[in-house]
Amino acid sequence: MIWKRQIPILIVAVVGAITLFGWFIDQPDIKSFVDDDATQWYDILASFAIILGALNLIKLQFQKVAKKKKGWPYSLFAIGGFFFAITAGFFIKSLDNTVVWGAHVTTEGTLSKWIFDYMFTPLSATMFSLLAFFVASASYRAFRIRNFEATLLLAAGIIIMVGRVPIGSMISSWFIMYISVLALGIGVNSWKKNKMITFGVVGIGIVIVTIAGFLTGWPIDQPGIFYLPILQEWIYFYPNVAGARAIMIGIGLGIFATSIRYILGIEKSYIGE
Amino acid sequence: MNGLTELILKIGKVDRRWIFIVLAIVVFIPILVPIGMPIRATVTTKVVYDTIENLPPNSNVLVSIEYSPSTKPENHPMAISILRHLFKNDHKVFVTCLWPDGQFMAQDALKQVAKEEFGKIYGEDYVLLGFRPGGEAVIKGIVSNIRKLYTVDVNQTKIDEIPMMEGIYKFSDFAFLFTVSAGFPGTVEWVQYASDPTGVPMSSGVTSIQVNEVMPYVQAGQMKGLLAGMPGAAEYEALIGQKGSATSGMDAQSIAHLVIVLFIILGNAAFFIERQRSRKY
Repeated sequence: MIWKRQIPILIVAVVGAITLFGWFIDQPDIKSFVDDDATQWYDILASFAIILGALNLIKLQFQKVAKKKKGWPYSLFAIGGFFFAITAGFFIKSLDNTVVWGAHVTTEGTLSKWIFDYMFTPLSATMFSLLAFFVASASYRAFRIRNFEATLLLAAGIIIMVGRVPIGSMISSWFIMYISVLALGIGVNSWKKNKMITFGVVGIGIVIVTIAGFLTGWPIDQPGIFYLPILQEWIYFYPNVAGARAIMIGIGLGIFATSIRYILGIEKSYIGE
Repeated sequence: MNGLTELILKIGKVDRRWIFIVLAIVVFIPILVPIGMPIRATVTTKVVYDTIENLPPNSNVLVSIEYSPSTKPENHPMAISILRHLFKNDHKVFVTCLWPDGQFMAQDALKQVAKEEFGKIYGEDYVLLGFRPGGEAVIKGIVSNIRKLYTVDVNQTKIDEIPMMEGIYKFSDFAFLFTVSAGFPGTVEWVQYASDPTGVPMSSGVTSIQVNEVMPYVQAGQMKGLLAGMPGAAEYEALIGQKGSATSGMDAQSIAHLVIVLFIILGNAAFFIERQRSRKY
């Protein structure tokens, strides 16, 4: 039990504490351990983890085929692909044998490179490009003006989508101002429920925008707050950054709390408890 | 008026396969017949350009490639444009990869730009150090001692035998870092473990979806600008005066975005009409 429980917990606690306090203690040996040795250990362990991961993958696929679980024929492709890639990587260098081991993985004309160029690349590109269609369909169905928050999200989404691309810079800020006047009219109508007031607000708004346009010569990007590329930049820089920072700080605190739990031996999920 | 209402309601209930077809058509047409919409460089892209432009000649620049073929249309034009800019200004380029696929992407980009366009010499003007597993630990390794982590390059040549590696021992020996990133490990980790602790300036090119996550570092000044998605790549192509696949992709992206917005508006119109009708009855 001591090897399975106490020793692993002790190793995690000691290494964790040294790595954490290494940032605050100016001692060359500890600094060298944190900056150099610990990362080297991690690299070696990560390399072994790749082997373990691959073995685990193939074991699961074999089990699926052996027990004829749902979708088992797909596992045959996974197993075939696995051994094909292993063969290309470990046993076949190149036809003319001029490439050294290791370099053969990415060198032109080798089987490994062929697999990457003509199998992996088109397959992964296809999978990713399907996202565009799903995003289009999902946003069409999900972006509904149900409440104030949903309306804000929708407006920000549309401004980013149109403002980020070149067509956004071709839409005049005056056009957005006219649309804003109409949106204001909808707001006033839902609030006051009076057609006269609504028409009055919309009419006055249109007249003000039109007069301002004639006076300034209708510059496409002025006033900036109604120009989509500038608006989308503002959304990226301020509301977005504020939200992202809040999330980052939350995650940081969570990582800190979890790390302390590991170092103190409270969190023991890594030994299966 | 009734006909229009019924049409909007019909569009509101349209099968998603019709949306897929419409989207496919509006993406394909601008690719086949480019419109050539004007590209306006944003502030973040201009900062990246100016930072590279102001590097002293013959600077050692580390370029890290962290993307795979799935995001190649967004990330690869960034890598190509940045390499063009760096080689045009005669900088020494060192390339590392935190993603295994990144090595293939880097090799493609270097072959096209360094070898074919600029005729640069491998080992003297540029070097591809390749992929090492470990994510953040690799970054920390590069920060403390790059030679412990990389004993050979992708061609299995010993690092000590590569002329341009002379004087390069750790991250602070580089004048600038540019990462082309599509996720984890990537830009954020480079800021946290390399650029910020050492003070070496860095910029990055990321996929559109990552912009939200990376923007706080740009705003805080921890990163010198940002190439944000395919529009960022197209803007950089415009700034260096060499159009590429990102510029041609922007027409398709513009029209596709506009069509999606149109669908959203029509979907909402149908939603309102239905809601009003259900209240009525």
